[in-house]
This record gives sequence, C-alpha cells and structure tokens, in this order.
Amino acid sequence: MESNWLSRLKDLNQERIVLVVAVLIFATASVALPGFFSAPNLISIVRSISVLGILALGMSVVVIGRGIDLSMVAIMAMSVAWYLQLLGDGMADHTALLLVFAGVLAIGLLNGFLVAYADVPAIFVTLASGSFVFGYVRSQLISSDAVPVPEGHWIAMLGGLRFASIPIEVFLFAILSGAMFLFLRYTKWGRYVYYAGDNPIAARNVGMPVRPMLVLRYVVSALTAFTAGLLTAASLHSINTRVVNSTLLYDIVLVTVIGGIGLSGGKGGVRNVLVGAALIGIMLNAMTIVDIPLLYQNLIKSTILLLAIIMDGLLNPRDEQTAQQGDI
Amino acid sequence: MNPVVKMEQITKNYRSVPAVKNVDFDIAEGEIHALLGENGAGKSTLTKVMAGVVSPTSGKLTYLGKEVQFASPNQALHAGIAMVFQETSLVPSMTVAQNLYLGSENFLNRLRGTYISAQQFLQSLNFAVDPTAMVETLGAAKRQMVEIARAVHHKAKVIIFDEPTATLTPEEKRHFFALLRRLKADGVSIVFISHALEEALQISDRITILRDGEKVASGPTSEFDRETIIAAMVGRTLSGEIYRHRDETQLRKPGRKVLSVQDISMGAMVRNTAFSVFEGQITGVFGLIGSGRTETFKIVAGIDKRDFLRGGTITLDDKPVRYYTPAEAVRDGIVYVTEDRKSEGIFETMSIGENLFGGLLAADKEDGFVIRTSDIRALAEEWGKRLNIKTINAEAQVVELSGGNQQKVVIGKGLVQKPRIVIFDEPTRGVDVAAIAEIHQIINELADAGLAVVMVSSYLPEILNLSDRILVCRQGRIVEELSPAEATEEKIMYAAVH
Repeated sequence: MESNWLSRLKDLNQERIVLVVAVLIFATASVALPGFFSAPNLISIVRSISVLGILALGMSVVVIGRGIDLSMVAIMAMSVAWYLQLLGDGMADHTALLLVFAGVLAIGLLNGFLVAYADVPAIFVTLASGSFVFGYVRSQLISSDAVPVPEGHWIAMLGGLRFASIPIEVFLFAILSGAMFLFLRYTKWGRYVYYAGDNPIAARNVGMPVRPMLVLRYVVSALTAFTAGLLTAASLHSINTRVVNSTLLYDIVLVTVIGGIGLSGGKGGVRNVLVGAALIGIMLNAMTIVDIPLLYQNLIKSTILLLAIIMDGLLNPRDEQTAQQGDI
Repeated sequence: MNPVVKMEQITKNYRSVPAVKNVDFDIAEGEIHALLGENGAGKSTLTKVMAGVVSPTSGKLTYLGKEVQFASPNQALHAGIAMVFQETSLVPSMTVAQNLYLGSENFLNRLRGTYISAQQFLQSLNFAVDPTAMVETLGAAKRQMVEIARAVHHKAKVIIFDEPTATLTPEEKRHFFALLRRLKADGVSIVFISHALEEALQISDRITILRDGEKVASGPTSEFDRETIIAAMVGRTLSGEIYRHRDETQLRKPGRKVLSVQDISMGAMVRNTAFSVFEGQITGVFGLIGSGRTETFKIVAGIDKRDFLRGGTITLDDKPVRYYTPAEAVRDGIVYVTEDRKSEGIFETMSIGENLFGGLLAADKEDGFVIRTSDIRALAEEWGKRLNIKTINAEAQVVELSGGNQQKVVIGKGLVQKPRIVIFDEPTRGVDVAAIAEIHQIINELADAGLAVVMVSSYLPEILNLSDRILVCRQGRIVEELSPAEATEEKIMYAAVH
C-alpha cells in the first residue's frame, strides 16, 4: 500500500513541479515586467542557458551513473585558456587543438580510472583533479588570468555566427541535447549508465562492463566541458580563468538536480536538464530585470538547490525497513 | 521466579512476510537460554525485537515487570538489554578502549585513564586484547571479545549473544564459557543463539527452538538431546511443501560433466573445496550461514575472486578458467541468481522489462549498438507470461512488486542470457508460498531441459525435494555428498553442524 502511494507521488514528480513553476514564473514575468516578453530578451534567455545547459548535459551523464564531476569548470576554463595561449605563442592551430584535446581526454580518463578502479569517491577525485588542472595550467602553461582569442580566429567568427538572429550556441545546445538524448535512450552504452546508477552491484553481477563505462562517463563530461569552454570563448572573445572560482559549478549542479535527476542515480535524462535549465534561465533573467542584487540572486539559487536536494531525498528515500528485508 | 524479559505473541513482518509469528519467549534472572533454529527461522529477528533494533508488528514486551517499547538499541542498552551482534558493530578506526567506552565516556576523558581501566577490565574477563590496538587491526575472534566485553561493561541485565562462538578458537571458547558462567552467577540473564548444538546443550539451562518463525519446542535443557533438537529444528509440515520421497530411479541421471572445481580457496571463507556439476540435473548445496556456500559459487560465477596463489583450479568443459569479472562468466554461459535480490539482484527503480533487458544487454545477445524500446516491452510480455510475474501495470517499478515476483524478475534476468549453468542461491528466501511452488517448477524445468542447475539453499525441504544429488557445505568446504534417495533432513543437518 505504502509503495503505491509513493509511486503516485513520484508521478507528480520533480520534473513536472519544476516545469509548472517555470511556466508560472514565465507567465508572471511576461505580464508584470516590461521588456521581458520581447524577442531580444527571449533570445538572451536561451543564450544565457546554452553554455550552462551543455555543461549540465555532461554532468547529468555522470550523476545518472551515481557519480559527480566537480572538475568540469576547471577543465572548461583551463583547457581553452591553454589552447588560446598556445595559439598566441604561435603554434599551428591543429597541433594546438590536438594537444589540448589529448590533455582533456587524459584528465577525463584519470578521473574515471581513479573512481572506477581505485575506488576513490568521485567527489574527492574530481575536486582534486579540478584543483590540479587549475593550478597546473595557471602556473605552468598560461601567463595571465584572461587569455584573448587571436584576431580572425575561427572561434571569434563562431561567436558572431547567427541563424535567423539566434546565436550559434543555442543551436549547438539543441544538437548536443538531441545527441545526448539518443545516446542515453537508444544505445547500449547509454542504457548501461542507468543500470549502473540504479544498482552497480547488480549491474556487475549480471555481466555489464561497469568499470569501463564509468571511465567513459568522466571522459564524456570532460569533453562536454571543453566544448562549453570553446563556446564561452567564442561569445566573450577571451576566456577568464577566474570563472573556476565562481559559482558556475554550483549552477551546473543546480540545473542538473533541480530538473529531477536524482543524486542517488539511475533516474532522469535530457528532458530533466532542459526543464532545469529553463527554470534557472527564466528566473535569473527575471531577477536581473527586477534588478535584484547578485548577492541575493545567489541566496535565492542556493535556497532552491537545497529545496531540490531535500525533495530528491524525500521522493527517493533510502528505506531502512526494505534494506533489512533479507535479514531475518 | 519472575522472568526478567517476557515476550508475548510477538509478530514481526517484513513487507508483510512474517519473520516471526506469535512467539512467546521469556528469560529468568541468571538463566542461560539457548535459542536454536535453522537459518531464517526467526532467531535474529526475535532477539532484535528484544534489543530494540526492530520494533514488533504486534505483541507485548515486558521488562522487569513493566511493559516497554524500545525505540532504539540505545534505549534498550540503557535499560539493561545488550545485544552482541554476529556482524560486529564496532568502530574500526578507534582503539579497543575507545570502543569499550563508546557512548559512556566522561565529558572530559583522558586516553591514559581509559587505557588503564580498559586494561584492568579486559584482564578481569581473561581476554587477551590490547586496549590500545585499533579495532581494524584485530582478527574476527578478538573483535568478538571486544563486543562481549562492551556488553558486560554496560552492566547489562540481559545479554543476547548471536552466534558468539563461530569465530573463536577452542581455547577462547573455554574462556568464553567460563565468562558466561560467571555472568550467570552474578545474576545476568543470557540469550544464546547458536548453530553449534553441543555448545547449547553444554552451557544452557533452557532451550527454545524456532522453525519458520514459530516456536516449536521449549523446555529445560535436560529434556533435550542432539536428536530431539535436530528433529524439532527440521521436522516441518508447511502447507504446500509435502515431502515426497524419491528412490534412485526417480532422480535425474547426471549428464556430461560441465564444471569441475578442484581445491579452490578464498581467504578463510572457502578452504580447498572440490566438487563437480553435471548437465541435466539439479545439484543441491546445503550449508548454514558462514559455511562458505555462497562464496564458493560466487567464485564460480566470477563475482568473487579466488586466492591468486594456491587458489585451486576451475575447469569448464575440460578447459581451465579464471574469471576476473562476472561478465566473463556470463559469456561462458554461467549465471548466478543472487540470494540478496535487494542489494545485488534487482534494478529497483526500473520496470520489469528494463530489468530483463539489462540481462540481455549484458550477455551481448542483443545484436548491435542501437536499442529498440519495443524490444523491452516485448521482453516484459514474453517473460512475464513464462514466469507468471504478476503486476498491476507494465511500467510498474520492480520495487513495488511482492518478494515472489521480484525473485522471478531476478531469475528471468538470468534466463534471458541463455545460460548453460544456472546457480540459484536461496531461490525462495522471503518469497510467499504460492511463488515458492512456481519457482521450484521453473528450476525443475531448467534441469529437464538439460541445463546444469546448482541450487544453494539452507531450506531443507527444498534441498530434498528438488536435488538430484546433495552436497553439504561446512566451514568453507563441501564435506559430504548424499543421494536424495537415502538422505533425510536429520542426516543432512548432521553433516552441516559441527
């Protein structure tokens, strides 16, 4: 009986609640705020969540598999900073790109290897590797906090690219979302993410390659971070490595968790990322128009994150009674 | 004499499956009361109710003449009921002395003072344990001693020992029994759970025997002997489980030998065990908890790894194999159906179809990299019918199913992999009676279809009714092989207890 009741509550799940809240805020803001419901502002909303959304796509693959990647922002900023520095130093474009790509791959592999084979908790591995990437690149490979994009480089062109007056990163976010959706839902490896996230021991016992797949997820999140970094550089014509110490990382977790991707793993998908990104995008934009100071915006965001995590815990409890079931 | 603890009509359900049913139990001051029964008979649950670890579904618990309800083990402990667990509940990263005084430290405590008093205390118990040693560096026996010392230190009026002697050496056992007698002389009441019948007969004043969650016998120890205890432990008349004797001709003949295990070892759990498995019959494996039965077959299925040096050999079709992951075993056609479906069998937030599909994906029987979601529904429909899995709707999460249906999902998840060898570990644990019969039929059909079936169980009627040959596991090795034609519950239990 109790479990039926629970399942009905799950039908009224976080994703739907968040979607309803997002629509409500959108409607209220459209009516109450002058200039909110206008083409330029709507485009700016979508644009503002594109990079965040792409990062959240990478994070979601890891979180569905019952992990977390705290090194994403460091990888995003430092890989692109290093790339731009190499270009500035006169290295050929393809050599530089290849070198940086190899570096990103190596960090993803290292994260995955330490989590999968050395059994170190993901939160510590990625916290450490993120700090390492930031420290090493900042001290050894680049010479200033912000590295500009060279004149006339393809990244600079990318930033100016528009289709039907919609910036290119919006399309990229859409394409990556579609690709991630197909991967998670219709490929074998994508499905493995869910099985391993739901019950890693059962997944191993049934004969799934749990550990190699774990490594794959951290590689995916590292590569997504690199992509997001390139897009950031494209729209700003430079990359500022100080972003590593900003709240961006928490925004990624916020977007991922608030849409209903449970931190306990095995649940959610691209749709949840989109819903989460929509809510955060609309909310931040509205708050900016109302002119709420940044400090208060952070306060509001953190409250929402806390609420989302509490809700996640309530909807997906670790039930002591059922855990003891076999122990008579 | 007034009983210290009196339990009346205690019932405890786990997910509506009763673990103990209407049991009366009491213990007098200064009495050693042995609680005996097979695995799953409800001994641990009954004592956990007494110690406040679980709360009873119904029934009355009276302690020192007052009705009580313990909300937590801590409350029970402060009231004077201590439980020494099978799996020790010590903090590994603390020293012995810190563990002894855990929860009862002075607000300001000096380590040196703690060590000195712990030293004196342990000596008074005749336990050779260094109070400054970290618990994680101790062996199982010494940890057990610390547990016991802790219960004694709490000046408990009632101490429950759950399998206290399993890890002790004979010498340590002597000390332990001397300690029990001393506690008894001091007026402490002791509940003693054990598989070792001789110990129970030797030390206890009274014996109570549970079977399938119900009390079947109780009385002064002088009224019992080994035979009567075993008879009470195993003789059952469970509905639908009519024991039918089969003679040699009714047993399946062994087919080709597919699996041969020679002298495999893994730490202290599996010691030089050897056996073979044949096609077209059911090999029943009986063993009590801690006998290494599960570990032995987890090695075969690639889940646990046997010792690298002197780990023995496993040959599959006359070819030596050594698996490092279950995936390799699955590819070779070996499937293990776990005894613990909750933590290592089911994907609980997923549907039946997705659970079954997981098996198919992992076995690489699904061609290609791309998945058709219609396959998942088809699979759920096909196997739902074949295994008679009952559910309200196809999208229901497996966690919402009953134990029996969950178990069928776990079995189905293995069978979609088209195995040649299926290992069932406690296939009917926590399963309702109707589903037990269905699962037994599935197991029989597999053997009839020519598969090599292994069934590990601590449920004797299951072993006797299904097996075509019976292996008995004790202390990490297969110690005896019996034919069901001549085996009786008593004979098997004799081989399994020590």
